[in-house]
Formats: sequence, C-alpha cells, structure tokens
Amino acid sequence: MSGAPFLDDARKAALEPWLAAQAGARRVSVTDEGRLSGGAISLNLAVTLEIDGGPLTGRHACVLRTGSASGVSASLDKAEEAAVLKLAFATGATVPEPLFVGADPALLGAPFYIMTRARGVAAGFRVVKTAEPQRELARELGRQLGRIHRVRPGAPGLEFLPLPAPSPALQCVADYRRWMGRFAETDPVLALGLRWLTVNAPEPGELVLCHRDYRTGNYMVEDGRLTAIIDWEFAGWSDPMEDLAWFCAACWRFGRYDREAGGIADRADLYAGYEETAERRVDERAVAYWETAAYLRWATVALQQGMRHSSGTEPSLELALTGRMLPEIELDLLRHLDSIAADWTGVGKP
Amino acid sequence: MINDEPDARDLVAIALSSFRDSILPLVPAEQRFTALMIANALATAERELAAGDKAEPALAAAVGGLIGEEGALSVPLAVLVPRLCAAIADGRFDAAGPQAALRRVLFDLTRARLAVSNPKLLAAGR
Repeated sequence: MSGAPFLDDARKAALEPWLAAQAGARRVSVTDEGRLSGGAISLNLAVTLEIDGGPLTGRHACVLRTGSASGVSASLDKAEEAAVLKLAFATGATVPEPLFVGADPALLGAPFYIMTRARGVAAGFRVVKTAEPQRELARELGRQLGRIHRVRPGAPGLEFLPLPAPSPALQCVADYRRWMGRFAETDPVLALGLRWLTVNAPEPGELVLCHRDYRTGNYMVEDGRLTAIIDWEFAGWSDPMEDLAWFCAACWRFGRYDREAGGIADRADLYAGYEETAERRVDERAVAYWETAAYLRWATVALQQGMRHSSGTEPSLELALTGRMLPEIELDLLRHLDSIAADWTGVGKP
Repeated sequence: MINDEPDARDLVAIALSSFRDSILPLVPAEQRFTALMIANALATAERELAAGDKAEPALAAAVGGLIGEEGALSVPLAVLVPRLCAAIADGRFDAAGPQAALRRVLFDLTRARLAVSNPKLLAAGR
C-alpha cells in the first residue's frame, strides 16, 4: 500500500507533545518510515522516536499500530489490545513491549499504541520455507503459549474482556452463527460444522487468556529464532486448547501439510513445549474439537471479508478473493471431521 | 435476448490471456500482487462461466437422496440445499451412519466449488 504518509504535519503536531508528556521528556520527535504489511484491519507504521530527556531518552525503533475496531469477528480496539499486550509482556512472553497507549481517538483519529519494533519476518510462506522441520521453534512457541495461558480472568486491566457464556464452546457457536448470517441456512458444510460443535461441545472448563490468532504468520522469526508474537486484536478468555488447535489447523500450514504444527514441525514439538510451562496437559480430544471450531471461525472471517466487498461498503479485490476461499476452508473442515469421526461417537447419541 | 458472439466466457478468457501475455510481464514489482489478484479473479470467473450448471443435476440428486426427495427431479439444487441445512440443524444427520453419508455428499459439493475457485488445490489432493 502506498500514498501519503500517515503522520502528516497535523498528526505529528498532536502526537509529539503528547508523547513528550507521557515520556516525561523535554522533546520527542517522530519519523514516519512507512507502512508495514500485515492485516486487513490494522495500520502498522514503522516509526523512530527520538526522545530527549526522561527515563527513555534516546532513539527507539518502534511500531505505531492503529485502526478502528472493525466489524470483523469481535476484534479489540487498539487501547484494549495494548492492555492485553502489557499483561502478556509481564508474563515474560516474547512480545513487543507497549510503550505508549493513546486511548483518546481525538489524538490520531482512532485509538493507537506504540510498541518496540521486533526484527525478522512474519510472512507465513517464508517462515515455513526450511528444508528441515523447525522443532525448537515449535517447542518455543508452545512454551510461550503456556506462559500466556497463565493469565486468568480477574487479571488487572482486562475487565473489558467479556466472559464466554454458557461455555467457551457454546459462546463460539453462537458467535459464528451470528457472524455467518444467512449463510448458516444456505451452506450445508457450515450447517454441519455448527451442528457438530453444538452436539459435541465440552463442559465448561478453565478459562485462560487466549491469543485467538496464534499461528504461523502472526509471529516473527529471525535466523530461525522467535523474536515476537504479534497481532493480539482477537484476544479473549477461552478454553486453552483453542489456541493449540488454531495453531495446528491445516489452513495455517502454508502448504507444508506434513508439518502439522503451523507448517514448521510436528504437533508433538509444540505440545511438549506447552506442557513445560502451562502447568496443564494437552488434551488431544479437546484440541480436535477446537480444530473443528478453527475451520468454522476461519470460514466466518473469510465470509465476512467477502461480504465487506459484496455489500458495497468496501469494494476490494483482495476482500472479494478472500470470500472465494470458502470452499478450501470447508474442504479442510470436512477432511478433519472425516479423520476424527470414529473417535466422536457422541454424535449419534440415541 | 440475442446472444452475441463471442460470449462472456470467451471475452473473459481472451482478456485473461492477453493480460498474462502482454501486461503482467511489464507490471512493476510493487503492483505485481494486485496484478496477480486480477489474473486470479479473471481465471475464477472464466472457470465459473465454463462450468455453468453442468454438475447440478447429479449434485441435486445426491442432496435430494439425503433428505428423501429423490423423486423430485425438477427441484433445483438452490432449493434443496437450504432444506438440507434445516435437516442438519434439526439433528437428522447426528448419528454416525447418516453423518458419514452426509459428508460424502458435502465432499462432492465442495469439490465442485473448489474446481472453480482453486483447481490447483484440488489437483494437489487438498
């Protein structure tokens, strides 16, 4: 994407004195280094802060992240996202450190935050492109997730995150059904997915902070090492197995279907790392349930993206083509249901 | 209405091959992603126009069979599919056997759509 710089003179004039006050500095100047790729929803701007005075004095390579909360799948606004990121950072997880949070939309037009800029690549098709499986990377991503999942409801600063009811699974079914609109009545694969998730929903278990978009493409890697877990806009309280299932879903393997953990390694590598830090075992049956949910969730997102185009609110070739990804997502869902059918005799309870 | 020649499918096909042969090689790197998306959209439209409704009768028969309307040969797929959705939501395919039969038909329906939207993936066995 190109065009005029986001930080024009008016925005800089609003931002720089505000940052100086936040940083307890004499002066802060901000250089706009252009948009970073990533996300049909958010704007990520590479910026360099020159802070003169105060505890952060010096030059800092940062990312300014903004964009209003979209209608897509309950994404958080940027001030909320920063609050989640702060708690994740506090657990010791490898995430960018949020430095400044601008909750007041009057400043830049929408809430924003500024975080440290991690190095490396995120693009999924590049991350999976290695001759050998990246077992240590998968294990480390498991450990990271285990740490993130130690954040529980009641954590200070996250009161705005809604609690799922009556259970994470049934909350998801209700959300997906609502987001799908009429497609739940006209697309039989989606109808089967919703029915399957309803009939097989697990009893409510423990709730943890889930990233809810934890997958290849949403973490950064440099020289094979994890540098940052990014894109926290869908975070919420849920069943911990949801994040593991999302990570392993076929749609996030970027063509490396043989490496079931995000196209980088085996599930066993991810699970082993997870069990090192999470203080709970991986429940493979629950992961299989949540993998069904993952395909439904991704299908609803693709549908919504397509509808943003089709409804005329945001004509876009990219959104239109995302809408046409539905059959491949549904084929993954059917394959998954086929592969686990024998283990889910709960379907067909007399 | 008079159907002029070349028809829509023909026009999209020749527009796509001209775009690929004459324009795509000249597109600068920063526009290449958009150019590839344009080619992708045209190719999908061409396949959709080529496929027409050839697959419909067989799929309608399969869907009709699932919901006990196999006699109704004249009922179009677009009418049967919402009835199938309602039957699924009502739990008529909850038991293992009916659900396996349902999945087989849904595989066929989905593969027919994928043949239009992403035949490469279908050929790759995904």
